[in-house]
Amino acid sequence: MRTANRTWQRLAPVALALCLVTQWVRAAEPPAKPSGAPAAVAAPAPATIAAPEAAPEASAAAPAGDATGEGSTRALDEQIQDLKQQVVDLNKDLFVLEEELLFPANTQVAVFVSMDVGSFFGLDSVTLRVDNREVINYLYTPREVAALVKGGVQRLYVGNLKAGSHELVALFSGKGPNDRDYRRGASIKFEKGVGAKYLELKISDKTRRQQPEFEIKDWE
Amino acid sequence: MIRCFGRSCLLVALLALVQPAVPAATAVGELAPDFALPAATGGNVRLSEHRGEVVLLAFWSSHCSVCTAQLSLLGDLQTTYRSAGLVTLAVSVDDDMHRATRYAQAHPTRFPMLLDLRKGVSRAYGVERLPTTVLIDRRGRVRFLQSDDRGIDNSYVAQVRELLDDPL
Repeated sequence: MRTANRTWQRLAPVALALCLVTQWVRAAEPPAKPSGAPAAVAAPAPATIAAPEAAPEASAAAPAGDATGEGSTRALDEQIQDLKQQVVDLNKDLFVLEEELLFPANTQVAVFVSMDVGSFFGLDSVTLRVDNREVINYLYTPREVAALVKGGVQRLYVGNLKAGSHELVALFSGKGPNDRDYRRGASIKFEKGVGAKYLELKISDKTRRQQPEFEIKDWE
Repeated sequence: MIRCFGRSCLLVALLALVQPAVPAATAVGELAPDFALPAATGGNVRLSEHRGEVVLLAFWSSHCSVCTAQLSLLGDLQTTYRSAGLVTLAVSVDDDMHRATRYAQAHPTRFPMLLDLRKGVSRAYGVERLPTTVLIDRRGRVRFLQSDDRGIDNSYVAQVRELLDDPL
């Protein structure tokens, strides 16, 4: 028992010293280097993955390239383009995997915005509340509004919800008819089941009433 | 007593290990946090829409006399280098946004005066004193951060020109 206590007393300061050194090393790590570094960090991994495949290609290309300098340069260019394409494909796969990991289909809820307006409403911002909790307040720039008016559909929000009943409330702010401040809301109660849920916030003109209309559609 | 010291050391070691990560403000070299803010004169401005241009973010307050003096110098800088791709965005950190709006409308500038209503942008950039200016390069990375009252001197202009000379 005494021996155990003595050992304990000797080890504790050592553990403390190790932890302090670890914290110091973490704090002393240099910050991320500008511009070129991330590309340089990302590039080596695919390059090393592709290296075994590229090596036989390179060795096969070398004898052919030896014949003319142009041939070897062209082969090198093709290899570089292949590597670039592999990096792009990897990046795409990683993005898809990240989406699936963060927002699995059985809990995913996505809200989209579309506009079909002329002169009755100039969108400034949209605020979303899901089950009385504000999840996003998005400000729109003139460029984004122009893209929506041209027919673009924006994925405004993606999140996770448990299965069951939920309520979505959307508040639209902007300039209405006669350039006056305009603020309108729309809400929908929906059932979240198994599978992703998609909702669309539609802003459209109602010429008969000379007013914009806001509705929420459920993509069932 | 030795036993207590040993246990204290172990406790401190454990606390050091489980120390919560405190998010650091943006440092030089990092990607500039994107944001969208309303302008005092209407409309919204988003930082990422200026990718490809050099952006000068100037944090100011109507209570700060040095900041308001700096704004006129920034206007001259903007006029000189606008065609080369310089964009200046002034972000107000006033608590009273009506005062900031009145000031902006009374002192029109050649660049947008943005209102950081929720202070999210100033927190993201770690603004602790005024005036603070941030230079963002064409790739969207923070390159220079100045948080003193040296103002827009020759060395600052040299920094701006260095970034403008850097092609995307």
